[in-house]
Amino acid sequence: MLQGALAGLAAGGLYAVLAVCLTLMSRLVRVVNFAQSATGMFGCYVAVFLAVHLGVPSWLATLAGILLGGALSAVLGWIVATWLAEADTGTRSATTVAVLLLLISLAFILFGNKPQPFHPLLAGPAFTIGGVVVSQVTVLTVALAVLVALACRAVLARTALGVRLRALSERPTTAELLGIPARPLSVGVWTATGVIATLAVSIVAPSQSNDPTSLAMLVVPAAAAALLGGFRRLDLAVLGGLVLGMAQGAVAQSDRLSVLRYFLPFLVIVALLLWTQRKEVWDAAR
Amino acid sequence: MRKTLPVLAIAVLLAAAGCAGSEAGANGPIVVGSVNALSGAATFPEASQAAKAVFDAANAAGGVGGRKIEYKAIDDKGDPAAAAAAAREVVGGDQAVALVGSSSLIECEINEKYYEQQKILSMPGVGVDPACFSSPNIAPVNVGPFHDMTLTLLYGSEVLKQDDICALLEIAGNTLPAYQAAIAEWTKITGKKLKYVDSTVPYGGSDYTPYIVKARAAGCKAITVNPVEPDSIGQLKAAQAQGWTDVTWLLLTSVYSENYAKAISNAGAGVYVPAEFYPFTDAAAPANKDWRELMAKNGIPLTSFSQGGYLAAKYFLAVLRGMKGDITRETVSKALREMQPISDPMVGTPYVFGPAQAHHDNTAGWPIKLATGAGKWELVAQDWLRIPQQ
Repeated sequence: MLQGALAGLAAGGLYAVLAVCLTLMSRLVRVVNFAQSATGMFGCYVAVFLAVHLGVPSWLATLAGILLGGALSAVLGWIVATWLAEADTGTRSATTVAVLLLLISLAFILFGNKPQPFHPLLAGPAFTIGGVVVSQVTVLTVALAVLVALACRAVLARTALGVRLRALSERPTTAELLGIPARPLSVGVWTATGVIATLAVSIVAPSQSNDPTSLAMLVVPAAAAALLGGFRRLDLAVLGGLVLGMAQGAVAQSDRLSVLRYFLPFLVIVALLLWTQRKEVWDAAR
Repeated sequence: MRKTLPVLAIAVLLAAAGCAGSEAGANGPIVVGSVNALSGAATFPEASQAAKAVFDAANAAGGVGGRKIEYKAIDDKGDPAAAAAAAREVVGGDQAVALVGSSSLIECEINEKYYEQQKILSMPGVGVDPACFSSPNIAPVNVGPFHDMTLTLLYGSEVLKQDDICALLEIAGNTLPAYQAAIAEWTKITGKKLKYVDSTVPYGGSDYTPYIVKARAAGCKAITVNPVEPDSIGQLKAAQAQGWTDVTWLLLTSVYSENYAKAISNAGAGVYVPAEFYPFTDAAAPANKDWRELMAKNGIPLTSFSQGGYLAAKYFLAVLRGMKGDITRETVSKALREMQPISDPMVGTPYVFGPAQAHHDNTAGWPIKLATGAGKWELVAQDWLRIPQQ
């Protein structure tokens, strides 16, 4: 079980990074971005295309892919900030579902449905604890999740930029009247999360199944993790991601439980929703 | 809804087809159909493309007895309702005389009863689901994943002398009993048993590390899997990340492609596959020469699927050309039931449709290997590996 749990950490780290992005988006720009991992996937696929078909060096292609992921996210952010500025969170989030489906389809159309020859940025074991190998990818994704969460917290709590962002998310209209540039700031947040998500997916994609659907659907376990922090708390989002990954790894070790593995994120989502809504009365919760 | 859809589809198609069947007189075209995975999650269009190329070449040379062959490849979208509708479109609507070169993940199981009812025979280029190999009216050209599993185990235990073999099975639908039977057959031949079988491995899983860790902890030295390409790549990469580089992979023809070879940087102690047709990566082989030229001329990818479709069409043409008198569904079925076995250097077992209640007779694969860092498949045998006749 412990071995399995450690084996699930790599996935956990990725969930955690994506959960941090989702939490940031939800807090700062009032969107649950369902296309979070899809933009990452698309950036990766373009990177592989550049590397394989145009002979661009691996690192350069990866960098281009990451920038493209950021740019895609920025465009989406600009659209939402321009035309859906006053819309509620539900409507703004629904837009991203369309983008998720669009990107999956586009990836299939452009790159076909055959596996892509991803070149690993890093591969192989980092160190061994108690007979279990911890891979380099695991170390990197977990570190990335923690670092991103800490960095975001520092920015939000200690810089003028962070104060403006918080003002914007709490009272958008008031903030705009005070002269805070709403659109550039929110597009900036979109871009940043796009870059981070693409970076995380780029690290992990070569070491696991990497067809467009499975990469784009990583947003489901990430959302389950973000839900633990109520889409508000970064620390809980990181913890949620790591725990979910480890739980999935642990369940896979037992024949009887392994069926559960792919339902876990959904079970977690349902359980958390039931728990958070436990005090709601029917009329108020509707 | 599922049940009414096909019925509706037939009604519409029959109305649309109108008198399509009536022009098939003594000089009209001979309609041949196929049901294929052309769109959906996993697609293999090459089988029907290859079959079409064979028929087109035959038509260009004057057809069969002066009649042209009209080949209709219908998409099943990987969806049961669409697969049922596709069969009804081509069998009921277009009045096909036979089905040739189909390749689908689900089609046999969905349509076997319908084919029996319509008294039509199907020669899939690539049969995948168990029903392809257990129906009286369906006889695939290929070995199929189940005999392929027996072959890959035979190669692992008898040639590579691996004792600690484990199986990670990706089960979709009702395929588990067929794989269990394949493993049981290997046990019956060799008297050996697998170390363990894990049939909970998911299709299209994202991270296979936990399953790999489990196999390693159990002391497996070789692993047999029935994966689709992306899954297998994920499994090999998970093993690589764990630093497990001395594991032998005993896989199936489903991963035999140039794409896969390029995507794998570390294949452990080697990926071994009993190729269901003579390995297409051996460019100079005389066995594949005609097929290769035809595929190149038509711009069809060189894959096992296109080999299957090509062979199905070739066998079918041979049977058609040997027929005397009318060519109708009834006479074609009779000719296939009574045909003499046809040998071809591309396969290890002669093909015969025959009167049997089930058709699972192709029992030979050609062992190939993908070594770490090679980036391409190599032949590791001088001859076919065969399942011994019990």
